[in-house]
Amino acid sequence: MSDPTNLALLALGLPLLATILAAVMGTCSTLAKWAHLPVVTAFAGSAILALLVLSKVMQATGSEVAFLSTAQTWFHAGNLQVDFQITVDPLSALMLMTVTFVGTWIAVFSVGYMHDDPGYARYFSLMALFVFSMCLLILASDLLLLVAGWEGVGLCSYLLIGYYYAKPSAAAAARKAFLVTRLGDVGMILGIFLFWQAGGYHTNFDKLFAHITANPPDSVTLTTACLLLFCGAIGKSAQFPLYVWLPDAMEGPTPVSALIHAATMVTAGVYLLARAMPLFVLSPDAQIVVALIGGFTAILSAFIALAQHDLKRVLAYSTVSQLGYMFMALGAGGPVSANLVVTAAIFHVFTHAFFKALLFLSSGSVMHAMGNVIDMRKFGGLRTLMPVTHITFLCGAAALAGFPLLSGFWSKDLIIDMVYQASEHGGSHATLYGLVFLTALVTAFLTAFYTFRAYFLTFWGELRTPPEAGHHAQESPLGLLAPLIVLAFGAVLAGITVEPFAHGFSNLLVKAPSVVLANSVLHVEAEATHPHFDFALAGISTLLALSGMALAWWHYRTGIETVPAALKSVYRLSENKLYVDEIFNGMFVKPAEWLAVLSRLCDGLLDGVARVVSFIPRLIGALLKPLQNGLVQFYALGMVLGLAVFLTVVVVRTSQ
Amino acid sequence: MLPNSEQFSALLSTLSADLVAFLPELILAGGITLLLFLRLFPQLCRVHSGFVAAGVVALALTTLLGNGHVTTNADWEPGAFTGLLRLDLFSQFLRGLLLLFTLLLLLLCDQTGIPDRDDSADFCVLLLGGTLGLMLMTSANHLLMVFIGLEMASLPSYALAGFLKGQRTGSEAALKYVVYGAASAGVTLYGISLLTAVFGTGNLVTVTQGLGHMIADSESVPLLPMAGLCFLFVGFGFKLAAVPFQFWLPDVFEGAAAEVSAFLSVASKAAAVGLTARVLLLLQEANPESVRLAETLGIALAVVATITATWGNLAALTQTNLKRMLGYSTIAHAGYMLMALSTLRKDGMAAVLVYLVMYLVMNLGAFAVVAVLRNRTGAETIAACRGLIARSPAVGVSLTIFLASLLGLPPLGGFVGKFLVFSAVYDAGQAYAVAGSPTLEWVYSLLLGVGIVNTVVSAGYYLAVLRSAGLDEAEATDASGHALPLGEPWGVAVYLVGLSIVLLILGLVWNPLITLATSAIR
Repeated sequence: MSDPTNLALLALGLPLLATILAAVMGTCSTLAKWAHLPVVTAFAGSAILALLVLSKVMQATGSEVAFLSTAQTWFHAGNLQVDFQITVDPLSALMLMTVTFVGTWIAVFSVGYMHDDPGYARYFSLMALFVFSMCLLILASDLLLLVAGWEGVGLCSYLLIGYYYAKPSAAAAARKAFLVTRLGDVGMILGIFLFWQAGGYHTNFDKLFAHITANPPDSVTLTTACLLLFCGAIGKSAQFPLYVWLPDAMEGPTPVSALIHAATMVTAGVYLLARAMPLFVLSPDAQIVVALIGGFTAILSAFIALAQHDLKRVLAYSTVSQLGYMFMALGAGGPVSANLVVTAAIFHVFTHAFFKALLFLSSGSVMHAMGNVIDMRKFGGLRTLMPVTHITFLCGAAALAGFPLLSGFWSKDLIIDMVYQASEHGGSHATLYGLVFLTALVTAFLTAFYTFRAYFLTFWGELRTPPEAGHHAQESPLGLLAPLIVLAFGAVLAGITVEPFAHGFSNLLVKAPSVVLANSVLHVEAEATHPHFDFALAGISTLLALSGMALAWWHYRTGIETVPAALKSVYRLSENKLYVDEIFNGMFVKPAEWLAVLSRLCDGLLDGVARVVSFIPRLIGALLKPLQNGLVQFYALGMVLGLAVFLTVVVVRTSQ
Repeated sequence: MLPNSEQFSALLSTLSADLVAFLPELILAGGITLLLFLRLFPQLCRVHSGFVAAGVVALALTTLLGNGHVTTNADWEPGAFTGLLRLDLFSQFLRGLLLLFTLLLLLLCDQTGIPDRDDSADFCVLLLGGTLGLMLMTSANHLLMVFIGLEMASLPSYALAGFLKGQRTGSEAALKYVVYGAASAGVTLYGISLLTAVFGTGNLVTVTQGLGHMIADSESVPLLPMAGLCFLFVGFGFKLAAVPFQFWLPDVFEGAAAEVSAFLSVASKAAAVGLTARVLLLLQEANPESVRLAETLGIALAVVATITATWGNLAALTQTNLKRMLGYSTIAHAGYMLMALSTLRKDGMAAVLVYLVMYLVMNLGAFAVVAVLRNRTGAETIAACRGLIARSPAVGVSLTIFLASLLGLPPLGGFVGKFLVFSAVYDAGQAYAVAGSPTLEWVYSLLLGVGIVNTVVSAGYYLAVLRSAGLDEAEATDASGHALPLGEPWGVAVYLVGLSIVLLILGLVWNPLITLATSAIR
């Protein structure tokens, strides 16, 4: 068991086993209420195994660290050879650790949150499948194996968002999530096969990267393929214009939102781009598109988050915005060396997993107490009623806002630094990177403002509870609070302990083979292994964050929302999500509906034609029927006549 | 002029080798005698003859499979028994197929109780006798053997068709069958005598060599040998039920028991297809470079195939009786097989051998379902299928698989057969175009189109049965409105499900079968 790939395989297998166990337990009503046991155990086991894997990776020496399991052929057809093989390298080990660790605490929270739910076993079975799919995605050595995990994640998100399938809005949200991400997946599959074609018919990451970097295809093909691959990431990681599914995805149970936002789904796109960094750095045009999309998404969703009334919606838009940050960082790869941008992005994934899971679970705790009401206009001043939740939410909010020394501060600052450096060395795209840099700064200010708006509206001012809460309006039980406390420590401390001084991420990620390869493509010397802390930038971003928080305090400390008359129109714009849903509705959904109506008309027409056509054989059949009249004389006549015709034809033809 | 001792011993050793290869037929003949003897002893009558017959067939089949020394077709170049029979790999394949089918049919008869104990000895004797005749057909190398085989197969079939005593339709159908069969046998015999008169021998190789050269080389072929060949094909067409020799089939199928219909539809057809394929292959081998044979006989066969398939499919659309519908479907399938035969190429013949294997399983299955329906509901109409899936999942799902396979849906065996036949037709068109005959390319492309359109049309009646079985409410319901279970014996259910699984496996793994069929043709 000393081989880390065996440990990783075990960490992969445990959630799958738990899926099956929980599903089987669900068939028996007495066992169903214990369905959380295998799942929580499996998650915890996986987290421990992931930690062991990570320690093995850290102990490994050499400039490149990767362990590959023995390849088993999954399928083979002509040029297409896909193996089941997993890669343990710094990138996958770090992601695996993050996912399983955060996943474990979300599962623990779910035990209390979902108790007495009729679909208890189904919920836990799907959770385990979700984590399994994500782990498969992370560990895959092959693009198509990654797609298998990718689709598994998509399926589980559909099933979990639509968990309350009897509720029409939940069913619609699930459908939306599935279809919108599917749009991106189409592009991704096309991108994969374009790379497959251009990359010597390899889908294995290492072989594909080696082939492409050694024989780069022409820049148009390369950029097209990269952007198609990025389409998949846009869908899964909720970037503009496909982000619309994520805010609706909170129709599922709150821990599911936490899982989607923190660990198992939206980071998949970031991971894909980090993994495929050697391909993206070859195409500066694709990289600037990635950075621009990330920047635009970040500021757009931050603006929308400003005026949302639904606490979970604010958090959802903040996730979209933070994912935009990660793509900004990844898009800076090229002008900036690959190891630095991957560090920045993955480090933000790591810290974001903690504070976003914490924020969602805290809002879940609020929702639990408020009788499933999540509209911030209906409650307020909860800090006295729910002191622990209040503190944990504050930790998460401060981390998200980039309060100095908390985890979000370090990772966001690193990203801003990356984008700044890209604007310095960006070559022909320097101006655009400068724009992205400005966007990042403005977004940092907006983030602090909307986060603390939500915080003040929920926890400050006079105590107000909705009638739905009833006597439920009290602090949540310990089972719900324990995960919050653990994650709160993570949100506060995870950043400072790991990276800024210890350089845990940067020292490790520089050894990931794909990062090494990307660096060698960029001809970057190995000396800049870890980022240096830029005090001027940190100062600016701190100032922005603090001023955003201050503004929120000044305006919302009463816990009541008032909108100045001058800003009414802007407020409406934000409240209605910039009318993006309406625009999409008009641009895509309505024409599609018209097309459907038209198709139906055509279908009716074709149906009529088909009926007429299908009537013809029947008619001929009925005409033939009298020939079978049961008279043997007639049969003999038929035989003789037929024979005569046959003979004549053959003889005439042979005599020609 | 007596042979000297050396020649005599050489003849003896050839004879013993021939006898070893002929052992399966000898065992069948011995089995028939045994069954007849058993009737003489009342004590032994308690043994159900079906088991004895099945044992005999199983023994024959094992013997056949144990005949390992037939490895190439060249081993049997001169033919066994002084050139009367040709016990090569091709005949080995078809004889094995026939014995396997008879064994499966006997097992089915044991389950469905047709025939009853009193009649079982007669029934089994007729069945084994018919099989023996069919086996001779597949290995005939002489026109005399062709005729003997045809008649040995036909006479028991006439008796089997009228086997359900006291049923007017059955007796009437059997009588028609006899009259029709006698007429076609007469024509065949006339053709044989013409051919023998022209070529001075009945040896199939010599006759086909002569005919093949005549067609390929000379400007115009004399009428006599051509007429002889066509008359010979009347006998084959009668067994195949190709248009215009198909009239007997629907009436006979409707009148005979489902088990007998299965025998007529699968075994007779397999032997007839084998014999036709052998004659056509020999004709083509006489002058393999020439396209003239394809331009005459090939086109004629393609026309017959087109009419047969279309006729069968169109007539099946309006049927209400399940057995009659399956009868027309048999005609349609004969058309598909004729399409492959009309290519006059080895891969077409190999395709038709694979087709026969699939056809054996799916048609036997379909008739077995009819037999079950007859036993449990007393009706053999499509209406009797209503709600079948609800009444008996095993029977209903098996029927679905058999009919879907007959229709040619993947991943079932029927799809494989149809696919191979159609691709053989397409390849033939391409190959003949290369060989310098654009007409033939056009003809075979048209034939391919006809095959595809026919497949679509056939969906009309196969799916109608499935709609009835799957979607319609069952007529027989209990007090609370639930469908009454069909109550089929478990043995039948196992039998049907087993056949369905075989069909599914054959639809997934067909490479070994193609290899086997190709080696049988080469």
